[in-house]
Amino acid sequence: MAERSLTYLWAMRCLFLALCGLVMFLHLLPLEPVSRFWAAPDLMIALTFAWVLRRPEFAPLMLIAGVFLLADFLLQRPPGLWSALVLIGSFTLRSKALDLRDLTFTMEWLSVASTLVAITLAYRIILAILVVDVPPLSLSLVQLLMTLIAYPFVVLASQTIFRVRKIAPGEIDAMRNA
Amino acid sequence: MAKDRSQDNDYVGQLRKLLLAVLVLCLLAIFLVWRIDSPRVERFRAQVIDTVVPNFDWAMAPVTGAVNILRDFQSYQRIYQQNQELRRELQQMKSWREAALQLEQENARLLDLNNVQLDPRLTYVTGVVLADSGSPFRQSVLINVGARDGIVDGWASMDGLGLVGRISGVGENSARVVLLTDSSSRIPVTVQPSSKQGLVAGDNSAAPLLTFLDDDDGVRPGDRVITSGDGGVFPAGLVVGRVTLDAGGRMRIRLSADYERLEFLRVLRSWPQERIEDPGSIVDPETPDVADTAADTPSEDPAAVDPADG
Repeated sequence: MAERSLTYLWAMRCLFLALCGLVMFLHLLPLEPVSRFWAAPDLMIALTFAWVLRRPEFAPLMLIAGVFLLADFLLQRPPGLWSALVLIGSFTLRSKALDLRDLTFTMEWLSVASTLVAITLAYRIILAILVVDVPPLSLSLVQLLMTLIAYPFVVLASQTIFRVRKIAPGEIDAMRNA
Repeated sequence: MAKDRSQDNDYVGQLRKLLLAVLVLCLLAIFLVWRIDSPRVERFRAQVIDTVVPNFDWAMAPVTGAVNILRDFQSYQRIYQQNQELRRELQQMKSWREAALQLEQENARLLDLNNVQLDPRLTYVTGVVLADSGSPFRQSVLINVGARDGIVDGWASMDGLGLVGRISGVGENSARVVLLTDSSSRIPVTVQPSSKQGLVAGDNSAAPLLTFLDDDDGVRPGDRVITSGDGGVFPAGLVVGRVTLDAGGRMRIRLSADYERLEFLRVLRSWPQERIEDPGSIVDPETPDVADTAADTPSEDPAAVDPADG
C-alpha cells in the first residue's frame, strides 16, 4: 500500500511537470507572433497555486523552482526573478493552506488574488529598481485579471480530471496509516 | 502521539523553510548574474532554447499546421468573393508589371550610360519559424537556422516582401529574430520620397512608431519607409513599410512584412561596411612631405586636385 501511494505521488509530480510543459509548449506555438493588446492567462502559476493549496506534496518546491526557471529561460523573461517570487508566493499559500481548507472557495480565490498581485507588484518594482525594461502596465494588468478569471477553471479541471482534491480532515490519518 | 507528530511537522517545516531560502537565493543569484553580465547569460539562454525547443518541433509543426488549416477553412466561406478580388488585383498587377519591366530596361540603360557602381546583391539563408517568444511582453520568433548555417548576431531578416526583424541570440541550430514590433527594437530608416531620416521604434503594438525624424514636414501618410543603413545596423534599402497616422496623430509604420503569417524568413548575409578611417591626404596633407615635394614638382599638384574639383 505504501509503495502504491509512493508511485502515485511520483506519478502526480510527473503529471504536474507534464502539464507545465504543455502550457509552455502552447505558449511557444508560432500561431500569433504579432502583437496583441491582451495577454493570455498565466496558466502555469494558476496550476501551481491550485495544486499547492490542495496537495502540496504533488508540487514540491524543487519542482516549482526548476519548472519556472526553465519557463523564464524559454519565455524570454529575466531569468530567476519571477521563479523566486512564484516560489515565495506558493510557500506562503502553502502555509495558509491549512486555514483555507475549511473556508469557502471565495476565500481561497481572494488569497490567491492577493498573493498574485503582491508578486506581480514586487516583480515590477524590482525590475524598475534594477533599471530593466518593465513590461507595459496595461498588459501586466490584463494578464493578472485573465489569470484570476482562469483560476476557478484550473481548479475545476484539476479536481475533476486529475483528482487533485483537498484532503478531508479525516483522511490525513488514513493516509498516514496507509 | 499528537505531540510527537507536531514536533515531526516542525522539523520538516524548518527543513522546508531552509530549502525555500536556498532555492530563492539561488534564483536571485541567477537573476543578479543576468543583470550584471547579461550577454553571457543570454548566450546560455540561447543554448537552453537551442536544446529544448527543437525537441518540440515534431509536435509543434503538426499542431501549428492543423490550426492554420482550420483558419484557412474559415476563409473558404468567402472564396468566391476573394476570387473576384484577386482577379481584379491581378489585372492591376499586370499593368504594373509591364510598367516595371519597361522601367527596369530604362534603368539598366541609364546605369550603363553613367557607369554607376551599385551595392553587390545580398545573399540570404532561409529558415522556418519554429516558435514565437511565448510571452505577450516580447515580440520575437525562433527560426531553425543557427550558427551551423553561419548566422551571425545582428543580421537582418525579411519575409518575401519586407523587413521582419534582427537576429539576436544564435544557438547551434536555432536563432532568435527580434521583431520590429518588440519594445526594444530601434531601426534607422529613411522615408521616401522626402529622404528624411528617422527611427522605427517598436512599442509592442502591431504598428511601430516612427520617431526621431529630423523634421516631419515633408513626411505624409502613405510614404514608403526603407532602412537607411545608418550605423551599419542593416544594409540600406530594405523595405520596411508605409507611414500611417494613428488616432493620437503620431506617425506609425504599417509594416510590409506579413506579421500574421510568419512561416519562412530570409536572413540576409550582410558583412560590415568598409569604414573610411584616414582623413584623406587632400584635406589633411602631411606637411613635411608636401613641403618637400612641392619644391620638387610644383606642376603635379594642380593635376592631382583637378579631378576632385570636376
